[in-house]
Amino acid sequence: MPIQRKKIKSSLAPGWYFMQGDEACAEGAIAAGCRFYAGYPITPASEVMIRMVQRLADIDGVFIQMEDEIGSISSVIGASWAGAKAMTATSGPGISLMTEAVGYAVITETPCVIVDVQRAGPSTGQATRPAQGDIMQVKWGPHGDNEIVALAPWSVQEMYALTIKAFNYAERFRLPAFIMADEAVGHLRETLVVKEEVEVWDRYKAPGLPPFGTEERNGVPPMPSFGEGANLLVTGSTHDSWGFRKTADPAVQARLTERLVLKVRDFKDEVIETESYFLDDAEVGVLAYGFTARAALQAVKRLRNQGMKAGLLRLISIWPFADEAIIKLGKKCRVIFVPEMNRGQVAGELKKYTTTPIISLPKTNGEVIEPGEIVEGIRRNMA
Amino acid sequence: MIQVRFAGLGGQGILLMGEILGEASVIEKKYVGQASSYGAEARGSACNSDVVISDSWIDYPEVTEADVLACMSQGTYEQNKTKVNASSGIIFFDSQMVKPDPASSLKHIPVPATEKALTELGNRMVANMVLLGAVVKALNLVTEESLRQALTSRVPPSLLKLNIKALALGFELGRIREI
Amino acid sequence: MKEKIFQMINTEAFPTPFCPGCGHGILMGAVLRAIAELEYDMKQMLFVSGIGCAAWIPSPHFKADTLHTLHGRAIAYATGAKLYNPKLKVVVISGDGDLSAIGGNHLIHAARRDMDMTVICANNAIYGMTGGQVASTTPLGSITTTTPKGNQEPPFDLCKLVEGAGATYVARQSVAAPIPLTRILKKAISHRGFAFVEVLSPCPTHFGRRNAFRTAYDMIQSLKNSCISTEKIRGMSPEELLGKITVGQLVDKGTEGGRS
Ligand SMILES: Cc1ncc(C[n+]2csc(CCOP(=O)(O)OP(=O)(O)O)c2C)c(N)n1
Ligand code: SF4
Ligand SMILES: [Mg+2]
Repeated sequence: MPIQRKKIKSSLAPGWYFMQGDEACAEGAIAAGCRFYAGYPITPASEVMIRMVQRLADIDGVFIQMEDEIGSISSVIGASWAGAKAMTATSGPGISLMTEAVGYAVITETPCVIVDVQRAGPSTGQATRPAQGDIMQVKWGPHGDNEIVALAPWSVQEMYALTIKAFNYAERFRLPAFIMADEAVGHLRETLVVKEEVEVWDRYKAPGLPPFGTEERNGVPPMPSFGEGANLLVTGSTHDSWGFRKTADPAVQARLTERLVLKVRDFKDEVIETESYFLDDAEVGVLAYGFTARAALQAVKRLRNQGMKAGLLRLISIWPFADEAIIKLGKKCRVIFVPEMNRGQVAGELKKYTTTPIISLPKTNGEVIEPGEIVEGIRRNMA
Repeated sequence: MIQVRFAGLGGQGILLMGEILGEASVIEKKYVGQASSYGAEARGSACNSDVVISDSWIDYPEVTEADVLACMSQGTYEQNKTKVNASSGIIFFDSQMVKPDPASSLKHIPVPATEKALTELGNRMVANMVLLGAVVKALNLVTEESLRQALTSRVPPSLLKLNIKALALGFELGRIREI
Repeated sequence: MKEKIFQMINTEAFPTPFCPGCGHGILMGAVLRAIAELEYDMKQMLFVSGIGCAAWIPSPHFKADTLHTLHGRAIAYATGAKLYNPKLKVVVISGDGDLSAIGGNHLIHAARRDMDMTVICANNAIYGMTGGQVASTTPLGSITTTTPKGNQEPPFDLCKLVEGAGATYVARQSVAAPIPLTRILKKAISHRGFAFVEVLSPCPTHFGRRNAFRTAYDMIQSLKNSCISTEKIRGMSPEELLGKITVGQLVDKGTEGGRS
């Protein structure tokens, strides 16, 4: 579908900034055209909200602190249908509350961005400590089959850049896109280099065409907004291409659920993004994402210095999953180590795509994984 | 690449030291990683503020082994002295607040930060800026101008003059102890 | 008038799915008539509903923008749409269970904010769609599928609830009095700020059947007998008022226009 891609001047003056991850995320949102933010306070995501209050006030955008996270995501979806690029940010407990509405955004094909600055769980857990425990939750939390996009920034630079991309993918595929940050990268202050221009995609409009169906099995329909005279029928119940509820028609349900999945799976290469370090001749593979990947990169360099042929595959996108990259990695390496701040969520996912032995290096004590720990974990297992 | 850790107690302004050095380094177009850790209480608990500075992209932005430790309390000195690079590390310490370990072979540099802040400025609250000025000057981490500029963006205008004076005091001390 | 109303609906969505005798159909008619009389442009209106029989009143029947949301969340969705496009005239139509139980938090907070929207609560004192379970509005003693021996929990007075929370327009009326109901709806919809109308709307299928109302007609008659207008209520003794329900306009505060 002809999504509108354009280069626009960056909303932040080009230059070098010393910025916190959460703030850079807010700046990315503003740069992408976000003009509606609803949130509810939670550590370690509140700094996103604070920055959004200030920035939206500058540019006549809308900010509201809602009564809870269900209210936040609900008003984000409402605003998106009113024509806004809209975002909310939260952490695990808030994601849990938002889960039902994420499914709603999927079935109604509502573009929106949800930032998850992950903290140590389960439940209230350790509010100020980092974790990567929500990787499966954002994919499998809502009932039914939900294709979403999730990106995992490893730096302040990527908190900015990937938030822009998340907005673009949300518009391109009409779905909720997640930023899977964590406390470490959310609170980290780092150099942020802002360029002259950013690439921004706007939703596709085509008055007269059905807003909930396409000729193709994997298409993304155009999206009108409220107030444009489209007589929109938006519903979270199964609906036909015009939005009429069809809750007992197997053909309509089959066609809708298939399209919601295929519209992402058939074009997943547009989203899937990985980075390889020292993989050319690697025998020992390391797979990591988010902040942990920076420790993994250090670890791989140290192991190389010690003579081990180690290499790193970093996942920049988490969902849709980088299946083909994993298949390749499996063929190349004798073993794949997966350090992550959870009990092996992505390590388990890898086993769908490779028979190469996967060794999980989990850490869930509320502290980041340090390079030395990965080195030590690999050495212990390779001995 | 250089890894700097500021350590002390909540209320001493430790976090600000790291943030200002970080900001000043970015003004000089350096790559910086800056992370802080602190206890649940705002005052009195141990806190660290880490800055990693480099001319190019930093793989791992947290301090793994400090090249420099600048310390304002005995407890955090004890906690952190083992995390300093054993061969080339340097420890700056507030000479009124920390008694250095005589057994340590690391290079130790006393800085009378609290003392000078009290006697010269009548305010121990700016001892952090005295120590920061001394460390930055002694190691030539960033220019005086960049540091002042970073300070200006992070300190309320009413306190700016006092803090600038404290930095200047630190620069003096750092010049004397040039290494 | 009839002609006008026909243009305001998706005729292909009719007949409605409501049971014979359900009050929600009368309410639907009253809402449409109120908007027609106000001469509002349906193209500038947004109807938001939650989940339940009542939530089907606007969706898919109204030829306007409709947003059929999740159970309890209509007001929160409406808040986002209204804030981003203040030109939209936003009307929420949903059930008592939807708005006051699962969605109770959004209800009181929207009232507190004086959000510029009209909330119409179709109160049948029961969860109709799910088969007649007790609601936060079910009268004491009523038989429901989850209170087989009679409801032991006192119900909300929704009008007092939203008034206490800050609503600037509050009214109650029943579908047994469609003309006064339309009048009230016109005032509520044209109010600027948070307007709340509790509309007593019988569910013969799940409430009536279990509570000694033999027909839908009996329920309408009972509503007619027990509803007393705010004007008539003056000078009546507490004994005379026992078991009566006050209907009419309860709060009408001048407002700056509410949050939008
Ligand atoms: C989260 C969630 N819980 C439960 C339900 C099931 N459910 C559907 S409608 C409904 C009750 C609706 O009652 P009310 O709002 O009073 O409307 P009525 O059907 O009586 O008009 C319930 C509980 C649901 N859809 N979603
Ligand atoms: S179940 Fe009750 S509320 Fe629902 S349509 Fe039937 S009568 Fe109306
Ligand atoms: Mg009901």
